[in-house]
Amino acid sequence: MLKIENLCKTYPNGTQALNGVSFDVQEGEFLAVIGLSGSGKSTLLRCINRLIEPTSGKITWNGVDVTAATGKEIRNIRRQIGMIFQQFNLVKRSSVNTNVLSGRLGYVPTFPSLFHVFSKEDHDRVKNNLDMVDLADKIDVRADSLSGGQQQRVGIARALMQEPKMILADEPVASLDPVLAHSILKYLEKLNKEFGMTVICSLHFLDLVHRYATRAIALKDGYLVFEGLPKEIDDAQFKRIYGKEAERIEVI
Amino acid sequence: MGLEPSQTSATRIINKLLPLLSILIPGSSQTLIKKTWRGISIFLITLILGYLVYWSYDNYEIGKAQINADKAFSWLLIPLVLFYLWNILDAFLLANNKKSSVLIAVLSASIILYVIGWSVTNVKMERLITRFDDARIVMKKLVNPDFFSTLQGEKIVVCGWDCLWDYSIARINGTESPDVFVSDNVGRIFGQKGTITAPTWTVLFGKATKNERIPGFETGKIVETIAIGLMATLFSTILAVPISFLGAHNIMRRIPGGTAIYYITRTFLNIVRAVDTVVWGLLIIVWVGLGSFAGVIALTIHSIAALGKLFSEEIEHIDPGPVEAIEATGGNFFQVIRYAVIPQIIPSFLSYTLLRWDINMRSATVIGFVAGGGIGFFVLETIRMGGYQQYAAALWAVAVVIIIVDYISSRWRFNILKDQPQKVDNIPTWKKVRNIVYIILGVIVFLYCWEITKINLKYLFDPGPTFGRLLKDFITIDLSTKVVNNVVRELIITTMQALMATTLGGILAIPFSFLAAKNLTGKSKFSAWIFYITRSVFNILRSIEALLYVAIFVFWVGIGPFAGMLALAITTYALMGKLFSEAIENIDTGPIEAVTATGATKMQSIMYAIVPQIAPPFLSYLIYQWDINIRMATIIGFAGGGGIGMMLSTFFGSLQYHKAGTVVLAIVIIVAVMDMASAKLREKFV
Ligand SMILES: Nc1ncnc2c1ncn2[C@@H]1O[C@H](COP(=O)(O)OP(=O)(O)OP(=O)(O)O)[C@@H](O)[C@H]1O
Ligand SMILES: [Mg+2]
Repeated sequence: MLKIENLCKTYPNGTQALNGVSFDVQEGEFLAVIGLSGSGKSTLLRCINRLIEPTSGKITWNGVDVTAATGKEIRNIRRQIGMIFQQFNLVKRSSVNTNVLSGRLGYVPTFPSLFHVFSKEDHDRVKNNLDMVDLADKIDVRADSLSGGQQQRVGIARALMQEPKMILADEPVASLDPVLAHSILKYLEKLNKEFGMTVICSLHFLDLVHRYATRAIALKDGYLVFEGLPKEIDDAQFKRIYGKEAERIEVI
Repeated sequence: MGLEPSQTSATRIINKLLPLLSILIPGSSQTLIKKTWRGISIFLITLILGYLVYWSYDNYEIGKAQINADKAFSWLLIPLVLFYLWNILDAFLLANNKKSSVLIAVLSASIILYVIGWSVTNVKMERLITRFDDARIVMKKLVNPDFFSTLQGEKIVVCGWDCLWDYSIARINGTESPDVFVSDNVGRIFGQKGTITAPTWTVLFGKATKNERIPGFETGKIVETIAIGLMATLFSTILAVPISFLGAHNIMRRIPGGTAIYYITRTFLNIVRAVDTVVWGLLIIVWVGLGSFAGVIALTIHSIAALGKLFSEEIEHIDPGPVEAIEATGGNFFQVIRYAVIPQIIPSFLSYTLLRWDINMRSATVIGFVAGGGIGFFVLETIRMGGYQQYAAALWAVAVVIIIVDYISSRWRFNILKDQPQKVDNIPTWKKVRNIVYIILGVIVFLYCWEITKINLKYLFDPGPTFGRLLKDFITIDLSTKVVNNVVRELIITTMQALMATTLGGILAIPFSFLAAKNLTGKSKFSAWIFYITRSVFNILRSIEALLYVAIFVFWVGIGPFAGMLALAITTYALMGKLFSEAIENIDTGPIEAVTATGATKMQSIMYAIVPQIAPPFLSYLIYQWDINIRMATIIGFAGGGGIGMMLSTFFGSLQYHKAGTVVLAIVIIVAVMDMASAKLREKFV
């Protein structure tokens, strides 16, 4: 479904964030991306929907060359791929309703959307998706009046508005406490298992990887250093990914 | 059990009938269903709009629509009726717990306000074009200020940049060319050799007798301006500190009778603050006579009130913990202030003082229009004589001084508020020496400023001949119908000037503020140039007060409210441009990323990720500017910009103090009311 070949990214200041990364993603997978801070996880995820322009390499999405796509084509690809962010990236002063509706922007014509005109179906979608993340009663409150976990659920509802085939989640739980982390990941698991959406999710804690992911890849200094099942990450692998000094810690 | 159904049906009936009240009294039912502010606002706005429509038709036949030969009405009644109908609809919707949009209300009120504003401020946009030749003449003079002169035969003529250029080229090539020298005008602005009244120190050392005219260095008008600003800041800070304690509720609560003193102090400060510095100048010259001293007093008075309010609020916001702690040790009232309050307030007091210094320097450039000291007086003279190149030189000097002051003030404020912990022990010797040098320099500057602003405390106790009459007339102000009608007319014009200027300047500022935002432009070399140019234009334009701009527009579009409105719009444009672009620089990029990731277009991501983030700060800055403009509009008339200022200077000039008193009272009321309204608005939206 998604094929990444030899992907490289060098930032203007010379940082080589990705170095020849290649891997495949099959439909229905829950792929975890792990690695130290600064190893290139965010860069990788943002290259997939071209929020960041890769320097070289090829990304193929269902047979379409993402790296070569232009203007309208790239927007078409983006709307099939939902994205969830560590910092939630909600417009804090707008209502939950507006934030969730904005997930539909890739589908609606530009002009009416500038005046906040959306179809009845889209409004119904908002209700359904908020129901899905158990926030139906918060539809009219401002986004900044919600707690962190609730804001992330709004973020998920926004991504669902795209009716995506795949979801990219960039450390979706890093700003939340461990209990909330499980609750958010359970929503992602549900989307993966019940609705068959492919999920690519970068995570910090190995136990979360073991618990939710069907497969994992690991990055180190921009290189792909591991690809396989979560349970294959043994102590030796762990040291390769996180460095010799690292110790395994258990969280909840 | 039996009561409940009837009770609910009773409330249902009341809920059905309640909205009908709004047919009789607009806003009344909104008030009754707990939307108090909405209701009161609707009621007041209906009254104001109604009066404005009636007044403008009665006085200027604004919106006249002829039905037949002898029947006519104001078509502005249509939006007025629309507003009234909306009020009824609103009442019904709210009573049924439904949402009600204010779009229609805002639209119809805007139509009325802007149609009337457009007419009474005499907007003649075509003049900007038809009289463009006049504008070109002024512009040419503005960019060629009177800094250099040359001889043409016997006559000294002003020489622009081009002639200076030719001269320099000729000097380099060694060819002949007429001599070019620094103009007299530069001497008047910056200082020159001449005869002066013997300064105090020469008298003290026996080198001259009192009031003797001796050869010496005449102070330039811009230097005098700087001195006025400095002295006023110093005096007002010293005086505002004790007053601010009287205006701080958490302090005054502690002593018997303190709450009463608190309310009196706050009210007093608010009234003094509502009267602009320039208007204070008018009053003060009657007291101590024309001159820089009057300017210093006027600035000081207004500045005490402004600082006093800010200081008081700062004291009220201190952390009560230390106060409690000192009290727990058994400290008395003064010990609490010394050890728990003062250490907490010093940084913010310093930073407000620096901010005030910036504001006072700006006021000092215009106070001369009425008080007769500093560069403002010079500008007034040059305008009267039509010396636009001399005027231009003064504007450039003001721009340079204010830009420097603005820079120093904001730099120091930044350092103060950064709040780095300082090592108190072990100050190196060179720093001690440096500090002593600073203190000595400070004293010398202080004495010098004292000298050139001609401060003479004796005058304070020797008021001018008509001062007594002024006090008496101000108590028995003229409230005859004719005067009141005229004052109301000018007041409406003044308010409309502020409204039109805020709108025009604000709208113009929006597109340019995007160019001056570093996160949007400033990436490539070319766009970095755009960034620096727009930012500089904002900063230069912002450094000159609206009152000083009026002369340009008087020349361009003629004397009257339109010229004043344009001058206000220019300063609005500059300040809003700067603040807007800073707001744009502060937006969070996360939402933009998120919206882009959904496949949205550029326009959609602006609308959904940028606009919601910048709209609230833009709105709050516009309200802030509105407060400034309403004050500025009251004085814009001193330079021919129309509005209530023109009337005020006439009344003062012809010693009709009881009428002048009416005008001052009107200014105080309008400024206070507008302040209250904008505070309410800000609370609501921002
Ligand atoms: N806009 C940028 N310009 C220059 N360098 C960047 C930029 N963004 C990221 N980098 C650098 O690229 C490397 C990879 O960054 P990236 O954000 O992808 O890492 P990450 O694995 O997501 O880290 P974290 O866990 O901290 O989020 C880092 O060295 C980072 O400093
Ligand atoms: Mg990251």
